[in-house]
Amino acid sequence: MDPLLSISDLWVEVGGKSVLRGVELSIPNGEVHILFGPNGSGKSTLLSAVMRLPGFHISRGAIAFRGTRIDGMETNEIAQLGIGLAFQHPPAIRGVALENFINAIDNTGEIARGFRELHLDSHRRRELNCGFSGGELKRSEILKLYAQSPELILLDEPESGVDLENLAIITRTINQILLADNPLEVSRRGGLIISHAGFILDYVEADRGHIILDGRIACSGNPREMFDAIRSEGYYHCVRRMSER
Amino acid sequence: MDRDTSSNNDLRQVGYDPLIDHAGSFLVEDHKITEAVPHTDALEVMPLALALERYPWLRERYFKLIDKEQDRYTREAADAGPTGFFIRVFAEKKVLLPVQSCFLLRTPGLRQAVHNLVVAEKGAELHLVNGCTTARYTDMGTHIGVTEYYVGENAKVTTSMIHHWGDDVEVYPRSAAHVEKGGHFVSNYVAMTRVGRIEMYPSAILESDATATFNSVVYAPAGAWLDIGARAILRGSHAAADIVSRAVSDGGYVMTRGHILGETSGCRGHMECNGLLLKESGVIHAIPELEGRSPDISLSHEASVGMISREELAYLMASGLDEEIARSLIIQGFLEVPLADLPPFLQKTVSALVTQARRGEAV
Repeated sequence: MDPLLSISDLWVEVGGKSVLRGVELSIPNGEVHILFGPNGSGKSTLLSAVMRLPGFHISRGAIAFRGTRIDGMETNEIAQLGIGLAFQHPPAIRGVALENFINAIDNTGEIARGFRELHLDSHRRRELNCGFSGGELKRSEILKLYAQSPELILLDEPESGVDLENLAIITRTINQILLADNPLEVSRRGGLIISHAGFILDYVEADRGHIILDGRIACSGNPREMFDAIRSEGYYHCVRRMSER
Repeated sequence: MDRDTSSNNDLRQVGYDPLIDHAGSFLVEDHKITEAVPHTDALEVMPLALALERYPWLRERYFKLIDKEQDRYTREAADAGPTGFFIRVFAEKKVLLPVQSCFLLRTPGLRQAVHNLVVAEKGAELHLVNGCTTARYTDMGTHIGVTEYYVGENAKVTTSMIHHWGDDVEVYPRSAAHVEKGGHFVSNYVAMTRVGRIEMYPSAILESDATATFNSVVYAPAGAWLDIGARAILRGSHAAADIVSRAVSDGGYVMTRGHILGETSGCRGHMECNGLLLKESGVIHAIPELEGRSPDISLSHEASVGMISREELAYLMASGLDEEIARSLIIQGFLEVPLADLPPFLQKTVSALVTQARRGEAV
C-alpha cells in the first residue's frame, strides 16, 4: 500500500536560496509524525512546499500523496485531494466573515459543532483572522481543518502562543479530526506536526519524530525520546546520539 | 403607464419592491411621476412641484443647499422644473420602514432631470431607499438628480442609493445635506454594473454634535467610468464625519474623492479609500483630502490601491477553494464591509448584485 505521504529528494528554493536540500520523509497511513528543528531549518518550508504555496519553488524531487504525485498540482487541488494545513501565521482577510469562509469549505455537514467545541460561536461574523488573539487564531485554524476533514493534517506549530486551556481545546479537536470522529473508522488519519515546545506530545499520540537540520531530515525515531534529548542536549547532540545507535 | 414584468424585476434590483414592507413609495418613469404614496401618517410623500405650491416656506429651501448655477447639470435640473419627490417626516416621528423611491429611464437616449427634497423635522427618523435604473432594453440616456436633505435637530436620515444603469448611460447626481445640532445623516451608495459615466460628489454641512457617514461601494467592469466621492464640512463643535469608499475595478475607471473640512474645535473626521484592481487595464485613483481650520480637531485617513494579495488567495486555496471562488470571497467581503449596517433586506439585494457582478452575469 502506498504511504499517505511520501517525499523523496526534495529540494526547495525560497527567494533563490535552497532551504530544503534533499528531504526524505514517508508517513504511512494512520501515523502522526512530529517535526522538530531549530529556527530556519526548513520546517515550515516543508509544509508550504507540500501545499505548493507561492514563493516556495520545488527545484528537485517528488512529493506523493497516496501514490499520486502532487508536486506539480495547484494548491487547491492538493487540498481537495485531502491535505489540510493549519498555518502558523494565517493572513488577516478583511471583509471575509469567518463563518462565510468556513461554510464555503465545509465537508462535514455538522460545522455548528466545530464552532461550538472550539469556542468560536461568537466569532462567526468576525472578519477572518482580523484582530484575533493567539489562541483565537489557532482555534480558527483548527476549525478550518475540522471543516475540511482532510486525510492528512499538517500543523505548523499549533502550540506556539497558546495557553494551556486553549491547547487542550485545540488538541481535543485535532484528535477528533485524526479519528475522523467515527467509532467505525478502524485506522486513524495521518498528520505531520511541527513542534518547538513539544507540549503537543502530551495531547496527541505521535508515532514518529524527525529532526530537520540545514534543510535535511537529520534523524528520526521515537518522538518522546527525541524531544527529551533535544531538551537536555540540543538538536545537534540529539542527532549525534540517534546516529550512534 | 403599465409596467411589464421585466421592468418590475429591474425595479426590485434597486430596492423598489412592493413585497418588502415599506412606509411609502415614489416612482418616476422618464418624466412622469407614476406613484407618490405615503403609507403612514408620520410622513408625507408627494411630487415636489405640488409641495412647493402647498407650502410657501419650502420655496426658501428649494435650491438652497445646491447652487442652481453650480454647473450645467444643476442648471438643466432648474430649467426642467421640480420633477421629483418631496418627503417630510413630522417632528419626533420615527419611520423605521423604508420609503422606496425609484427613477426609471425607459426611453433610449432620454435626458431625465429630477429634483428631490427631504425634510426630517426635529427628532424624526427616515430611511430612504433610492433606486435608479434603466429598463432592460435601454442602454443610453442621461440622468440628472438634484437632492437636498434637511436633517433637523436630533433627527436621523439614512439614504441608500443603488445604481443599476445601462452600459452607456450618463449620470450626474447632485446632492447636499444640512444636518442640524445632534442630527445624523447616513448616505450609502452602491453601483455594481457598467455605466457610461457617473459623476457625483455629495456633501453635508454638520452643525454641533451632528454626524455624517458616507459609504460608497462600487464595482467597475471594463467600460465603466465613475468619479465618485463625498465632502463633509464640520461646522459646529464636536461634529463628526466618516467617509468610506471601497472600489473594485475589473477593467473600469474609478476616481474616489473625499474631503473633510474641520472648522471648529472638537471636530472629528475619518476617511477610508480602499481600491482593489483586478485587471491591469483598470484604474483606481484615490484622492483623500483633509483640511483643518482649528487646532483642536482630529482628522485622519487611510487609503490603499492594490491587487488581491497573493498570500490571502493562497491561504483560501489551501483550504480547497478554487481560485475563482477564493477571489469572489475576497472581493465580496471587501465590498460588503462598509455596508454592514444596512437593513437586512438591502444587504441581501447588495449581496446578490455583488455576486452577479462578479460572475459577469447580466443583472
